[in-house]
Amino acid sequence: MAAITRSNKSNIPISFWPLMALTLLGVGLAIYRLVVGLGVSTNMSDHYPWGIWITIDLFLIPVAGAAFTISLLSYFLGREDYHSIIRPAVLAGFLGYGVVGVLLFLDIGRWTQFYNIFIPGFINLHSFLEEVSLCVTLYTAILILEVAPVFLEKWGYKAPIQWINRSIFVIAGAGVVLSMLHQSSLGSMFLLMPHKLHPLWWTPSLPLLFYLQAVYTGLSAVAIAVRLVWRAMGLPIDRMLFRRIGQAMSINLMLYAAIKVGDWMGAGEVPLLLRPDAFGLLAWFQFLIGIILPLGILLSKLVGHTSGPFWAGVFALIGTFIERLVVSWVGLAEPNPVSYIPSFTEIFITIGMIAGAFLLYGVVVRYFKLFPDPKQSHA
Amino acid sequence: MTLSRRDFLKAAGLAIGGAFIATESAQAKPDPNEYAAMLYDATMCVGCNACTNACRQWNGTAPETDDRLLYDAPKELSSDTWTMIQLYQGENDTSFVKRQCMHCVDPACVSGCPVQALQKTAEGPVTYDQDRCIGCRYCMYTCPFHVPRFAWDTAQMPVIAKCTLCADRVQDGLPTACAERCPTSALIFGKRGDLIAEAEKRISENPARYVDHVYGKDDAGGTSVMYLAGVSFENLGLQDLGTKPIPEISEGTANIILPGVLLGAPLLLGMIRLTAKRGGWEDTWPL
Repeated sequence: MAAITRSNKSNIPISFWPLMALTLLGVGLAIYRLVVGLGVSTNMSDHYPWGIWITIDLFLIPVAGAAFTISLLSYFLGREDYHSIIRPAVLAGFLGYGVVGVLLFLDIGRWTQFYNIFIPGFINLHSFLEEVSLCVTLYTAILILEVAPVFLEKWGYKAPIQWINRSIFVIAGAGVVLSMLHQSSLGSMFLLMPHKLHPLWWTPSLPLLFYLQAVYTGLSAVAIAVRLVWRAMGLPIDRMLFRRIGQAMSINLMLYAAIKVGDWMGAGEVPLLLRPDAFGLLAWFQFLIGIILPLGILLSKLVGHTSGPFWAGVFALIGTFIERLVVSWVGLAEPNPVSYIPSFTEIFITIGMIAGAFLLYGVVVRYFKLFPDPKQSHA
Repeated sequence: MTLSRRDFLKAAGLAIGGAFIATESAQAKPDPNEYAAMLYDATMCVGCNACTNACRQWNGTAPETDDRLLYDAPKELSSDTWTMIQLYQGENDTSFVKRQCMHCVDPACVSGCPVQALQKTAEGPVTYDQDRCIGCRYCMYTCPFHVPRFAWDTAQMPVIAKCTLCADRVQDGLPTACAERCPTSALIFGKRGDLIAEAEKRISENPARYVDHVYGKDDAGGTSVMYLAGVSFENLGLQDLGTKPIPEISEGTANIILPGVLLGAPLLLGMIRLTAKRGGWEDTWPL
């Protein structure tokens, strides 16, 4: 309460204005897209049926998986030192999935019957896209339950909080299971494209690689966000926590690297790596900058500093972005030499939705209790 | 309390997993040799595009005219052009090639479609149901032949469009519109098994005329539209896709992951419970 009376309740902070403007532009363009259709509003075509929205979704899902990785570590492995960052991570996860949901809704051509994915007689159990759709929807519902106490306690609803608290092990457990499922299924979606996706990225291990990548990407996002936000708020940073995050990241990075290299060697794709074309370069860049460099940082003494996991996280995110970009866009073979550059509408809808997520996060940080009091500690 | 909840989840998991496996085994596949099919002999095609025209007439698709509105001149398949003839012009060789949906025996588009808008019918055609389709365009990526097209210019409720192997004619015992119209019999309609025999007979009777391969007999697990040609299939845009059905790895993975998760989920929940008990924060969950 004190925070509210102190802060100027009616005044909107200056940093919110540009975010609000971008969000409004995005919403306007989204309505435009729904009215005029995909052909007019986007640069997608029969040669590039998926555009920047799908790439952003494929990247945002593991980043927003931060909520899932933190739940996994704290609920499954009993790491209580993570408890202080559960709330900020879960809210970030929820907003991330919100952006993904909105972009997917705008992306599907026949959006007025999007609910067909929930109709039992229509559901195709073989389709990993169906699996992803169902899991993402259910998981978003779970994130709402996980994030609800932030609002409920502020508005003074005690009973629902108790109800959530009592069933949290089912809620959190279901969230973890659904996340493991859809993070890997996101990779499985491309199993149907062995002749389209570039061989350096296509492998039967795609589900496993995407899963491991989601875990270390989520942790990277946590390391980056916690360092930036904690600093900005003047909270003391728990170094042990950062060391733990760094260790968990390095384990997953190592597993990813081992499978990736094993796959390249096993499938005899090493010559493709030595070919001086864009894909060879991208593969090297992704492997060295996105896997080896963060591993090097995390295995050095830097892991004991907050800057270690932070910078490792930055590079790991770059690597993840490249993988998702290749898999969903540049690495999908197209016989005709047609190029795709996202339209103004596509770009500013994307920016607008992400700005909206940051805006909402800012609002919650400002007016609700998202971060722990420095005085009372959980562990 | 804990026990009964866990038991319930376990029972639910088993039930769903069991149902999944049951539907799996219930789908006995018809004999692919009985499927309605077409054989296109590129060495007999004169490129007249009568097939394109017959397709338009039967399916009511709009012509794609050039600037002067004189020619129906599509360059490639589109939501309005479901079949067409293209010309390959090499240095020493040349050939026409017909494009349309290949109607795979084991289609990747059907396997991937989240809402079963694409279906493999018992007679062989791969059909599309716009009332189910959500317009996600996953089929356009899963198809190894780049066949499904999207009606980009339709503002509301755009459809996915592709050749239906004239499913509506086939079920009445009629041949496809394009095959019926072909003036040189470069395109013939029949049962898949009979057409394979015919194609192999042509190759053995005239080995100098043909590349020794019936494209589609085994390619990508077999297709219902098959090709004979005098030039390399690669040059005609018919890639070497191997002989395994495209959905094999994806469906194999789904068959492991789904029941695995449904059965494993209660186990994971139990683990969380244990962790909470051990940590002593059962009642004070950190939210």
